[in-house]
Amino acid sequence: MKMRLMPCVFMTSAMLALAGCAAPGGSIYVPAGGSSRVPVQPSVTPEPEAPAPVWQQEQPDVSAPAPAPVTPPATSPSYRDSGDSLSPAALSLVREADRLLAQGNAPAAITKLERAQRIAPRSPEVYFKLSEAYVISQRLDRAEQFALKGLSMAGNDAGLQRAGWVLLADIRRARGNVAGATEAEAKASAL
Amino acid sequence: MKKKNASSGPRKKTSRKSPASRKRSGFWRFLLRAFIIGAVLLAGWMVYLDAVITERFEGRRFEVPSRVYARPLELYDGAGIGAAALERELKLSGFRKGDGARAGSYRRNGGRFVISTRGFRFPDGEEPRRRLKLTVSGDRVRNFAVVSGPASPIVRLEPAQIGGIYPSHKEDRILVRLDDVPALLPATLMVVEDRHFYDHFGIAPLSIGRAMLANLRAGRIVQGGSTLTQQLVKNFFLTRDQTLLRKGNEALMSVLLELHYEKDDILETYLNEVYLGQAGTRSINGLGLASQFYFGESLKDLGVHQIALLVGMIKGPSYYNPRRHPERALTRRNLVISEMEDAGLIDSVQATRARGLPLGVTEKPSYSEDRYPAYIDLVRRHLARDYREEDLRSHGLRIFTTLNPTIQYAAEFAVRDTLPRIGHGEVRKALEAALVVTAKDTGEVVALVGGRDPDYAGFNRALDASRPIGSLIKPFVYLAALSKPEKYTLITPVQDRSFTLEFDDGRLWQPKNYDGKERGLVPLHEALSHSYNLPAVRVGLDVGVDAVKDTLQAFGVSSAISEYPSMLLGAVPMTPVTVAQIYQGLATSGFNTPLRTIREVTDAGGEALSRYNLEVDQVADPAAVHLVQYVMQETMYEGTGKSAYFTVPEELSLAGKTGTTDDGRDSWFAGFSGDLLAVAWVGRDDNGPTSLTGASGALPVWSRFMAQVPQHGFSPVIPDGVSYHWVNDREQAVTDENCDNARRVPFISGSEPERRVSCSGALQRRIQGWFEGLFR
Repeated sequence: MKMRLMPCVFMTSAMLALAGCAAPGGSIYVPAGGSSRVPVQPSVTPEPEAPAPVWQQEQPDVSAPAPAPVTPPATSPSYRDSGDSLSPAALSLVREADRLLAQGNAPAAITKLERAQRIAPRSPEVYFKLSEAYVISQRLDRAEQFALKGLSMAGNDAGLQRAGWVLLADIRRARGNVAGATEAEAKASAL
Repeated sequence: MKKKNASSGPRKKTSRKSPASRKRSGFWRFLLRAFIIGAVLLAGWMVYLDAVITERFEGRRFEVPSRVYARPLELYDGAGIGAAALERELKLSGFRKGDGARAGSYRRNGGRFVISTRGFRFPDGEEPRRRLKLTVSGDRVRNFAVVSGPASPIVRLEPAQIGGIYPSHKEDRILVRLDDVPALLPATLMVVEDRHFYDHFGIAPLSIGRAMLANLRAGRIVQGGSTLTQQLVKNFFLTRDQTLLRKGNEALMSVLLELHYEKDDILETYLNEVYLGQAGTRSINGLGLASQFYFGESLKDLGVHQIALLVGMIKGPSYYNPRRHPERALTRRNLVISEMEDAGLIDSVQATRARGLPLGVTEKPSYSEDRYPAYIDLVRRHLARDYREEDLRSHGLRIFTTLNPTIQYAAEFAVRDTLPRIGHGEVRKALEAALVVTAKDTGEVVALVGGRDPDYAGFNRALDASRPIGSLIKPFVYLAALSKPEKYTLITPVQDRSFTLEFDDGRLWQPKNYDGKERGLVPLHEALSHSYNLPAVRVGLDVGVDAVKDTLQAFGVSSAISEYPSMLLGAVPMTPVTVAQIYQGLATSGFNTPLRTIREVTDAGGEALSRYNLEVDQVADPAAVHLVQYVMQETMYEGTGKSAYFTVPEELSLAGKTGTTDDGRDSWFAGFSGDLLAVAWVGRDDNGPTSLTGASGALPVWSRFMAQVPQHGFSPVIPDGVSYHWVNDREQAVTDENCDNARRVPFISGSEPERRVSCSGALQRRIQGWFEGLFR
């Protein structure tokens, strides 16, 4: 079982290495107080003297004198087409994990990958790597879940989508879920 | 007992001899017998004392409290933290403001930092000493560079200690090995306390004689003749009274100890045992901990003046307490420095320089024990699943938690600052609150507030206040509905009209909207974002109470859930932590992520005992969850949550839901950004009414918290099988982007409307839309 899964793991690694550099953009980072602030000013210090608005109604009464200036909020829900790309810091942790995986030390690799996941929680690559590490640890249930999680963030990146579905197909087949594997393969080849 | 035998024994057996000789020989025999009996008793007593002292010596050497650490701060280019928060984190981890060159110090100039780390042994390996340079700008780390030490694009600071699990005697210590202690320290100790330590056999009769003489001359106790061994014995039994019997016992035990153990063993135990201060109920034992407690530095980094102060304090830790009596402490320290110089331990240049230095004591101990009682409470409950209390108390385990001190600080501030401004009069005084914050995609609990006074270790509302969740249940009701795309989409019209349910037993139930109004047909997304009750109950009854119950259970509710239709309006009690657990699945597109407070537990030597790994479990269709997330964002822009944007920067996109129960007994808000999920509850402990709603009670606390933390906005990736369309939601038809009533809404593929209307509302054939779908 392990032998059969290895090629897929390496194939995914190769794809991820490519994909890691390709995806542009990322989540919008908002400093405390918003981006209109003077950048160098220290910020997370709460200012106790700053008045906090208090609302007494289900709907805020805009006509009442509000302590904070009433700015029209953004008008529509936000969504996007792809997850974050890996930052250099997260990428360095993923590379260390790769080295550990190559040495067969999956538990240590998982620790590194979890560290990477904390600082890059919206990068599908990290989840696919975690899936691979669990494949090597023979924890296929977890491997499948991390593959699914990675796919949920792959968005319209065809390379990542394909890598994820191929990985998922192999895991499902190894778990004896032939129908699920075929379905995942169909997804991969439709891309 | 000894006395009674000696006096009553001889009298019986001396009756037959002449009075004088009888008296003399009787006296010698009496003496002999008394001596033998005394010797036997003494031997017995010694055996007893020997057992006591060896047990104490062996036992005490290994009884070390477990230490609880916050998560280590990760520094790298792009790390999200403000300059003030970074400085606070550094202080909490025991860094001192200074030149930034010495290990454990930092230098700050505006947003520019130079930090010299001490290095730390993490469960996954050593983080070596490094000097780092970075700039904090716009609440992010930039220009991060390792100036000295091994290069790395990411570095962990040593974690702050946030708690301890102590033996019942409440002694705290950091074990040190003699080899790791700078040689000057034991040398100074001997010069000051016991010059002949390596030569005596536990007691030093000459010193005792000298001390007695001095004490007689002075008429009071001015000098002690105790050896280090005797002091160690005295420390073991924790009493300070100086009766003769006690002194005798101490002397005997000291001799016994010396018979059993090597000098270096005794010295090492002394270094770990000696009492050096008090922090609340916790006693500061041993020089390893004292060094941290007074200087915030590790023993191996101490300078001559600091060693002198610690050794000087042994004579009277509270009398010479350098924080309370700095002048006394300084005089004592300088006296010790002179003794060091006289003994040739340091030269006169070193002595003069050391005498010229300030005490070098930190203002406050770097770690105070009761800082995060509510959080530690949850950690202990999680630990209790796998560890026995007595092992935690004595085995020196190291517990690495997920607490983020910066976020905890913001959470405590939000509760403290906002609560006094909510409600009126008596209600305001009675208000209590809880706030749970988790890292959205890891399930790590990063902050926890259990009441209006976060320092008070009382009733932990975040874990133990089980209250009806009100409208917080609605996203789950609609999730169950939206999982049937053939029947429900975000623009499906739902009835906002009252009705009466009659139960089998004849009872009637007539739910109402919060504002008492009825609006007729409204699109589903609006019914949820404005939290109307009537459509929620109608939709819930249509999909079935069982389906809603199954959804809740899949998302992590393990307690019993009522099957009455009133559950559709949230007549389901949950604790804030449970709400955080079930909202985790909504925030992460359908992946249940078990909440964790512990990453790892290691033994005292750093070997991993347990690791609590990240787990994810897909419990709902990501496509259906995406639609619910859309409405939870809409709630913030135009629904019941929009007042959040009075406090929160407008570019921070958020998603959330209000919850209110009858008469404002419970005010809830649960929501998330791209990074964090937070659940706030406000109400009274006596479950009395407050007249607050979710928007006027819990939401101000929640938004005050969110506004303080630099973070990423919420912007979910469109999952497989979802597409966005411009629609006219009143007509349930696709429309043009530039129409006034156009709204861009996500649909599960196949459920998008087939009709098309123009801006004016005229019906069109949907040819263009069909082409759009083809090329998407």
